[in-house]
Amino acid sequence: MKKIILLLLAVAGGSALAQTNVPPKSPVPHQPTEISSDSADFDLNIRRAIYRGHVSVVDPKVKMQCEWLVVDLPASGGHLQNVNAETNVVIDFTDEKGQTYHVTSARAVYAYSLEGSVTNETVTFTGNPKVESTESTILSEPLVWDRTANKFHFYNEQMYFKQNISGGGGTNGIPKLF
Amino acid sequence: MSRDAVKFSLALGVMVVFLAGAADQPQKLPVGHATDFTSESYFEPPHEQQVKMRLSGAEAVPLPGGLLDVKKLKVETFNVAGKSEVVVSAPQCTYAMLDGVANSAGRLEVLALDGKLHVAGEGFLWRQAEASLTISNHVRTTIDIDIFSEKKTLP
Repeated sequence: MKKIILLLLAVAGGSALAQTNVPPKSPVPHQPTEISSDSADFDLNIRRAIYRGHVSVVDPKVKMQCEWLVVDLPASGGHLQNVNAETNVVIDFTDEKGQTYHVTSARAVYAYSLEGSVTNETVTFTGNPKVESTESTILSEPLVWDRTANKFHFYNEQMYFKQNISGGGGTNGIPKLF
Repeated sequence: MSRDAVKFSLALGVMVVFLAGAADQPQKLPVGHATDFTSESYFEPPHEQQVKMRLSGAEAVPLPGGLLDVKKLKVETFNVAGKSEVVVSAPQCTYAMLDGVANSAGRLEVLALDGKLHVAGEGFLWRQAEASLTISNHVRTTIDIDIFSEKKTLP
């Protein structure tokens, strides 16, 4: 029973943290994104790049690995709008507070859109998604990373805590989530 | 590609035509050694005056089977406004004139998005009609745009 209460508190706390976890404007100078792979196909008519084999994406904010990556490149001056990653997708990133996250799934889809003045920027993980922080592991199907609000959305989630929350009682047993 | 007008110029005046003008015209094959050549294809009407793609090279040596050994290949694509969109370059490749296909085991570089996208790799296959490029090995792409920015406005 104590575990259940702690879990509920953890979820509530995590939700509140997530909603207030809006990153500050980044003062860090922009650095390019590097993509490496075994091979690649480029369709210049539709500006689509398909990377195959040991795909690695290294960005100042995100690192990703997968086996198959499709990038629809924007027109000159435009914003990247759609990226599909498949097979053994692994994403690592660190938030502005220094918290590291390790996300794995079979598939990840990055989508960006601008509707009026509203920006939507999400990464949707499907295929046994799992996000690990230093304190917990959460399984969710799907798992949606809302990049605009900088928070995760969980569906049918299962949580596992890496620290012992049953011993000692008190508030020390409540792990900090996202 | 069938309506594309194709121009081919030779600095030394040794070669003739690199690509055919229209599908109903016979392909003219080079008969000798060429240097500093350029081949241009154009958009469909109503932009038929605008260059869609320009293929150039420093040297072309005919090989058996309608092939050309091209040195310093450069392929540049344009939008209908005449702005350069993609530049593909390679130190060497073999170009199949009838098929419009180039390939090489050597290095290839691609520049696009006003230089903000750079792709390099080793070994490639270029299909001109489909504007399709396959890089076989060690592909490395550098994108100098803020992919994961928090908020952006579209142009």
